[in-house]
Amino acid sequence: MESTDRIGEDLEYVRGVVARTRGGAAPRSIWYLWAAISFVGLAMTDFAPERVGIFWLVAGPAGFVASMALGWRSSRAAGVESRRDADAHMLHWGGMMLAIFLLVPLAATGPLSGPAMGQAVLVIVALGYFLAGVHMARPFMWVAPLVAAGYGLTFLLDQWAWTIAGALVALGLVVTARVSARA
Amino acid sequence: MPEEPDAGIQERLDALDRLLEHRVRLAICVLLTRYDRLSFSRLKDATGETDGSLGAHMKRLEDAGYVRVTKRFINRKPVTWYALTAAGRAALAGHLAALESLIDEAR
Repeated sequence: MESTDRIGEDLEYVRGVVARTRGGAAPRSIWYLWAAISFVGLAMTDFAPERVGIFWLVAGPAGFVASMALGWRSSRAAGVESRRDADAHMLHWGGMMLAIFLLVPLAATGPLSGPAMGQAVLVIVALGYFLAGVHMARPFMWVAPLVAAGYGLTFLLDQWAWTIAGALVALGLVVTARVSARA
Repeated sequence: MPEEPDAGIQERLDALDRLLEHRVRLAICVLLTRYDRLSFSRLKDATGETDGSLGAHMKRLEDAGYVRVTKRFINRKPVTWYALTAAGRAALAGHLAALESLIDEAR
């Protein structure tokens, strides 16, 4: 029937328009910011382990706030305003950060001493990226195996394990940004 | 002589919103249910329409009260933003329900 054929074509067109409007996973500036923070924060475990805690205590929340600001600015520049997307990102990454901060008492009281705290954080971060890939934008998922590989390296290498893990995570973030993120 | 559609289908065709029968306007309203606001240039990229054509579609939607227009400056450049109104949302819901019923009828 002619009218239903036309309706089918119109709906196919609408589907295409909706698909074209979806943005990348996040603006590149956010990926680069976290590549820098991750590399410095993880490498510090090899070079200045006594300062790692304070670094993440400051860089974590500051990076989170900066990411929200960069995301909002990039989204407006791209001509999109979406409270739903902003809330999804804030809840997802804020939830991940809260989970990491909930580990602090375990580190302070002993059960997660030394590198175990960092290793637990890497597991949470890998899961965070994986779930972001499942629920928000697929490219986030590509970072998860690299974070997991970094976690594995901390068991396998005696020296420079955290620096190499940091480089691996940073490389994953930068490459994913170059391939998939919006400018 | 073209075949007349049966009464059931005709009734469903009549329930379609005339303004949203055009696929560009339908796509714009669908997009605006997903996002709070979209700029003119973003809508242009998404639909592939020219400035003139998209402007005419947006004017018709605005005149019908389906979209609300705001102009704001971003990086010192004026940007026109569009948001769906409650009337636009209701019209789209009715149109989609009529479409669904037509498709069900045709199966």
